[in-house]
This record gives sequence, C-alpha cells and structure tokens, in this order.
Amino acid sequence: MPDPLVSRLKSLVVATLKLEDITPDQIADNEPLIGSGLNLDSIDALELVVTLEKEFGIKIGSSEESRAALASIAHLAEFIRARADPAKLPR
Amino acid sequence: MERMGSPENAAPVRNPGPAWGYRFLIACDAILPELIFRPLRWLGTLVAVPLLSDRRRHSEAYLETILARPPSTREVLRHFFAFEEFLMLRLRIARGRPHRGVLAPDALGFHELMFSGEQALLGSFHVGHSDLIGFLVGPQERRKVFMVRQRVGNSLDTEILGSQFRQWVSYIWVNRPENLLFAIKDAIAAGGSVAMKCDRTEFGSKAEEFLFLGARRSFPLSIYHLSILFRLPVVLAVGLPAGPGCTRVHSSPIFRPDGSGKAENLGRARAHFQEFLARLEDQLRADPFLWFNFAPLPATGR
Repeated sequence: MPDPLVSRLKSLVVATLKLEDITPDQIADNEPLIGSGLNLDSIDALELVVTLEKEFGIKIGSSEESRAALASIAHLAEFIRARADPAKLPR
Repeated sequence: MERMGSPENAAPVRNPGPAWGYRFLIACDAILPELIFRPLRWLGTLVAVPLLSDRRRHSEAYLETILARPPSTREVLRHFFAFEEFLMLRLRIARGRPHRGVLAPDALGFHELMFSGEQALLGSFHVGHSDLIGFLVGPQERRKVFMVRQRVGNSLDTEILGSQFRQWVSYIWVNRPENLLFAIKDAIAAGGSVAMKCDRTEFGSKAEEFLFLGARRSFPLSIYHLSILFRLPVVLAVGLPAGPGCTRVHSSPIFRPDGSGKAENLGRARAHFQEFLARLEDQLRADPFLWFNFAPLPATGR
C-alpha cells in the first residue's frame, strides 16, 4: 500500500508546479527533483518550499536544507515526518 | 551593513577598472578641483579603454546594434566615460553629497507604490542612475529596501553606498545563486521591498524572450514569478540623469498578481515587461550611452 505522505507530496509537486506532462504516479520515490529528474529550477524549488511550509507547518530555512529535503520525494517525506506536527500528516 | 547572503565564491571582476580604482578616484576627488579632475578622468578613460578589450568589444556590439552602424572610437569612449561618470557620482553620494530623486510624469506606478507604502518588488536595469533608485527611495520614502547585488572584484562603491544608507538599504548578494531566493524570501518575510536587476539572466532565472533592440532577446522573468508566489506588486523603474544633483525616475505601471491562475498572471506579466522594454528602448535610442552594458547583449532567439 502506498505511503499516504509520499502520495500527497507527489500530488503537491504536480499541482504546485503545474506540471503538464507528468502525473503524480510517474514520479519515482527516489527521482531527483532539482536539476535532473523533474528538472525543477530554483524558483520552482522556492515555490514548492512555500507550499510545503503552508501545508505542513514546517520551516525550511536555507538553500542547503531545501536541497537536502528536495533531493527526492523519499527524502522530502522523511524530512517532513521529522519536523511536522503528526496531526498534519495524511493518514 | 546587513548582509543576507554571505558570498563564498571568488568574486568576478565585472566593472571596468582595477580594484584600487575607486580609492584612487576618491583621493583625487578630495584634492583636485573638478575643472582639473574631469579632464583627467576623461584621459583615464582614454587610456583604460584600449586595455579593456572584452568590455570594449561588448560596448561596440551594443552600440552597433542600437546605432545600426559601427560606432566610432569616440562613441565607444563616450560610452565608457558615461559609465565612469556614473561611478563617480555613486562615490560622491556615498561620501555624503546630496542627491535627490524626482518622479517623471510617466512614473505613475512608482508614485502609487510610494503613496501606498506597500511592500513591493522593484525591477531595474543597468541604465543611467538606476542603481541609485533604492538609495533614493529608502531615505526619501522611509522604506526598507533590500537590493540584490553581485559582489565583484571592485565593489567598494557599493559597499560605501550601503554603509552611508544602511538605515534603509541592505544588500542581498547574488554570488551564491542557490542562496539568493531564500535570502529574498527572508527579506520579504521581514517586510522589506526587494530591488533586483532584470536585464541579465545572471541576476535571475525563468528566462524568456522579448523583443528588444530589433531581436527577440532573453531576459529573466524571475521577478514576476516571485510576485505571483508572494502576491507582491512589481514596478519596473529606471533612473535617468536630470541635471546636477538629481535623478529622474521613470517607471512602469504597477503589475499586480490577481486571483486568476499562474498562467494568466504570467501572460499579463509578459505584456507588462514587454511594454516597459519598449519604453526603455525608446529612451536608449535617445541616449544610447546610458545602458551600461559592457557584457554580451542578452541572447537572441533562433
């Protein structure tokens, strides 16, 4: 059964960045989000960070932190689980 | 002076002239009367231009594009001297010389923004006195401005200007582009307005092509993406010389992201940017030496 947080994050990436040629299911858990992979640039990353901060009530304070968090969906899920209020995580 | 993005990379030398040049100019300005100092500066330009081969080539390319003919040597020298005179002005303002900004009749967007006092994104260009707008806006309008700047090998003028206006102006250095957007995000969260250059892709991302100087050329649209993301208005502005001690600010109308989708907002943003570029081109055709472009022209499309 898919991890509900991972599924939610994939949907958020597609919806936030208005990715037209890709569906949430097509994003692999370990696919790099920045640069290669989905080919997101720094503005996309910032947009995603702002959305994630609102959605999960977390704070991503630097580019180093965001690079680590946005390395892949799997990394992002781990990052959010470690910081977010469990009540805000999808079940 | 507050620095939001502390650069670690080696600083490129972008401005013409050696790193010690500013200290030399400041020292000469303190002891020489202008009647003597100005011809010496012209002489200095005459000596320096042949040594700055890359920048001279870029200047020639730009002037040839805007003049529609190869520029004369004198015109290239005038281009460099116009820039030198602007740097001299920056140094003098940094050392306390009074200078004021006035709004041109077409600066309705800027006027509206100043009147409302709202937080905004200010887009500018390497044209005329544009670098001074943030320094004039801050103290005159009592507004906290964060200016995006690239630290170069000879940034002394920027450093002392920042020091002089530190109450109102802070810098966000772009030498570590990966940190730039987070620094801007923090500046916005702190309630500041952010000023950034919009005529070189090195100062932004999301480049798109716009009609400028007879071709479709690449400009960064990052200011509009930030505007849509943070729901902040954008005003594009340039400062042009308006006699001794005065800079006249010309601006676009305000661009405001609305509740429509991102695609619709970006469509309006493109039209907003293109309209201002067309006005800017008219101003540059009237005085070509005012665009301090000593770098390659923005890339053209296919």
